[in-house]
Amino acid sequence: MHPHAGAPLSRRRFLALSATGAAAGAAALNGCALQVSTGVGAAGETVTVMAKADDLNPDLIGQARKDTGIAIKRVDYDITKLIAMLTSGNPPDLVRGVGAVDAAFYAARDVMQELDSYFATSSVLRPDDLDPVNDLWRYDGKVQGKGPRYGMAKDFSQDSMYWFNTAAFDKKGVAYPSEDTPITFDEWLDHAQHLVQRSKGQTTVFGGSYNGLVKLTLMATMTASAGGSLFADDFSKVDFTTPEARQALAWYLDYCKLKVGPSPVLPDPNGWDGPTYQAGRMAMSNNGYWMGGMIGTDKKLAEVSRLAPAPVFAGGPRISACQGGTGMWMPRKSRNKDAAWRVFEWYFGEAPAKTRASSGWGIPTLKSLRPLMPHQEDFQKRTLSAQENELKHFSVVAISPYISGDAFESLFNQAATPAMQGELSVDRLAGRLNSVINKQIKRGKEQVG
Amino acid sequence: MTATSVNPKSPARTRIRVNRLVLYTALVVITGLFLGPFGWLILTGLKAPAELAAAPVHWLPTHFEWHNFVDAYRAIDFLGYARNSLIIATIYATLVTLSSAWVGFGFARLTAPGKKVLFGILIGSMMLPQMITLLPTYLIFAKFGMVDTYWPWVLWGLSSAPYLVFLFRQFFAGLPRELEEAAVVDGCGYGGIFWRIFLPQSWPVLSASFVIAFTWTWGDYIAPQLLLSTDHSTLAVAVMTTYVSAAGTPNTNLQAAASVMYVVPILLIFLVAQRGFVAGMSTSGLK
Repeated sequence: MHPHAGAPLSRRRFLALSATGAAAGAAALNGCALQVSTGVGAAGETVTVMAKADDLNPDLIGQARKDTGIAIKRVDYDITKLIAMLTSGNPPDLVRGVGAVDAAFYAARDVMQELDSYFATSSVLRPDDLDPVNDLWRYDGKVQGKGPRYGMAKDFSQDSMYWFNTAAFDKKGVAYPSEDTPITFDEWLDHAQHLVQRSKGQTTVFGGSYNGLVKLTLMATMTASAGGSLFADDFSKVDFTTPEARQALAWYLDYCKLKVGPSPVLPDPNGWDGPTYQAGRMAMSNNGYWMGGMIGTDKKLAEVSRLAPAPVFAGGPRISACQGGTGMWMPRKSRNKDAAWRVFEWYFGEAPAKTRASSGWGIPTLKSLRPLMPHQEDFQKRTLSAQENELKHFSVVAISPYISGDAFESLFNQAATPAMQGELSVDRLAGRLNSVINKQIKRGKEQVG
Repeated sequence: MTATSVNPKSPARTRIRVNRLVLYTALVVITGLFLGPFGWLILTGLKAPAELAAAPVHWLPTHFEWHNFVDAYRAIDFLGYARNSLIIATIYATLVTLSSAWVGFGFARLTAPGKKVLFGILIGSMMLPQMITLLPTYLIFAKFGMVDTYWPWVLWGLSSAPYLVFLFRQFFAGLPRELEEAAVVDGCGYGGIFWRIFLPQSWPVLSASFVIAFTWTWGDYIAPQLLLSTDHSTLAVAVMTTYVSAAGTPNTNLQAAASVMYVVPILLIFLVAQRGFVAGMSTSGLK
């Protein structure tokens, strides 16, 4: 080797060399992705749970050890990490999931453990005690809501319901909606238009929010409310051009165009309805029973808050689905299934479940825990009454296993934004959505096989 | 005052003053723009939850909720997570600075077949988004049992970083060849030339490199989130994920207060190393 002073790189040469290197690097990394075998799994009485901080805080983890003798190691829920752990053959023993959108998606990919045999022998989680909402975690290979159980919800709400603030209605002289008979979606939008308040081009009080949990469940449940199905019978396609899906889509676009509530074209800086509703800046909020947990802690807000049934389309059926059903599932390749099931039982049926049931943040998923729901104060009695009435109209709205909630959300928002701004017709958007979403579903179906 | 001095009221003097006024005004505005988000973060950290959703917006808190900072500190094992961040950032910044200097020296002062192609590949790897390499990275570390350990940061540190290699390469390339030749005449090998002659002269770049590497690691969310369990994770991950109520709703004011505390060490390090950092960036030919 000889001493040599390096010459400065020209910009053109720098870019040319960079592109070569990037291509070579990408090719090399693509090649190694699938060649690694299993790692080391959880051992003994330690269960690895992939969950969010609010699912399992340090106090709960300590309580689990005391109650079950099992140590819990929590890893933060992260989809990339989950895929990495599943691919490496060293998955967590339990994973957080949203039943409505995750159950069929993962079950179809054969990464979930069937739990029927565990439920059959459990004295804590008896099948006859399970609330029907847990059917969101069932999948028979074709349809969500039937077949083996793959997980369970920790609590739930009927997410098409909405809260309203009587003070906002009084201020605008609008009659209150009924707390037991649903209004139509058109009436809801009409109320929102009367209730919205603006000042100097800024929205100071939203007339109402209506965005569901995610667009996938929102569109599927609204289409069901119009009497149709967003998906083909075999869930291999969406069709936004059917009269029912078109009706749901048109309503949501009207909601966005009128700018009466938060939407992708009018985002709420708070990120969710709670703080805005609590500040008296939202007359109606599309959230179910669970938001009562927040409202109940604010006496003034509780006095003026009412829970109302899910709106219906004129002439359509009364559908009040759960769009979430957040809970947990067990990966098929979990190394510590029995200990994981013990934690599962404890989390869904013992002390944590009882604490959740009495908190007001959601309906318990075991029928036997219903008496623990808050029912002492006027607000609690009124809310519970509206909720019990609504439970009669619960049903599972099945979702396609071939597309994730995130993928649908991203494709929908990207395609629909011009229509939300009034720059694209409903029919053209429907065609565009069919095209982009069905491509994604086709790819998903190919993965599932 | 001499006859040639500028009269305080002369047009030239006035023009200078106007130019300065314009310059300083522009600098103040730009500084305000850069400081704005940080200022808003501090104010958010001082507000009560109800004030966050107020309309019209409350620019200043009605009551300064200083206890938010204490609450944010107590809500999580703040010091524990900060210690993890400090360990990882120090390990990585130290190792990657030395390894990048070594590699940069090689590219700047030595010749070998294919050096330019190798350098091109190295620089090209800067274009590779971190997201693309995440899954293979995890799988490799999982295979060697390094998940949930700090070994990945040691290995990354020893592997050098393309940007820092480029920084050192540019700096070393600018040093006079006579230094090297004199050392060779005195019997010094290339290892000695690097350690005894080049490295001691590169304090500005070493400082810049350390600050950059430390800041990368302190602020990195993706790698610790992927590779570490919650207990062993870093402050960046903890601040992002743990300030939620039992019902899963965000505690925005506490998160803002924690974010301010999270940023402070980086600000202090930058202030301390500022002179070396700026000198390092300018002497390496990069701006």
